[in-house]
Amino acid sequence: MPLYSCNAAPGAISDEAKPKIAADITRIHCDVTGAPPIFVHAFFFEDAPHQPLDGKKTFLFGSIRAGRNDAQKAQIVDEMRRSIHTHAGIPLDEIVVVTQDTPAKWVLEGGEIMPEPGEETEWLAKHHPEAAA
Amino acid sequence: MIQCTCIVQAGQISEASQAALSGKIDVFAQKAFGSRAEINWISVPQGGGFTASKPSTSSIVSLRAPAPVDQAERAPLLHELCGFWTAETGQSLNEVVGVISDPVAS
Repeated sequence: MPLYSCNAAPGAISDEAKPKIAADITRIHCDVTGAPPIFVHAFFFEDAPHQPLDGKKTFLFGSIRAGRNDAQKAQIVDEMRRSIHTHAGIPLDEIVVVTQDTPAKWVLEGGEIMPEPGEETEWLAKHHPEAAA
Repeated sequence: MIQCTCIVQAGQISEASQAALSGKIDVFAQKAFGSRAEINWISVPQGGGFTASKPSTSSIVSLRAPAPVDQAERAPLLHELCGFWTAETGQSLNEVVGVISDPVAS
């Protein structure tokens, strides 16, 4: 967590663009929130029924830990839209990015309940000492 | 029915393991919440999954509880859920994200 799930029309995001967008999603999320990259999952789908496109070319849905403020969420949405636009060439008005808050206490990752935002250091030291260093 | 979504990387979990997990999740849902599980398996296409910007080996298993769950109950349930997942798949705990969410407020 966070989990960013990106659904797109078939062929709208090339295989070459996906790792670039995933890298941007990870960087943007970590820059904005201070979270470590090890938490960031970015999954790409095409025409996936579980995440309808509603006439758009791309829908990026981010399930993020609760506790981020409105300015942080707006920055995430804006920068991720621009990343998809840059790497996939999809017009901005065809890209929808939405975030949804998920309480950290609802999530178990690495065998432990996720830390609240800002309390990652101890968790990382225990589960991913290489990332905490 | 308890809504359950399992997101896995394509080809990572065999059909036999998926069937076994479906059975275990169903039993788990009945024991924990008193209802059977309705499971939606979602496969991330090859080359489409990334964790920390690298090809992902992570799976997500997410259940929506029918009523708000006390954290004292939720934590052991999450450990049980991820425990039987890793036992069946051979994945490490670092590769499994378990979620038990409360119902959406209406």
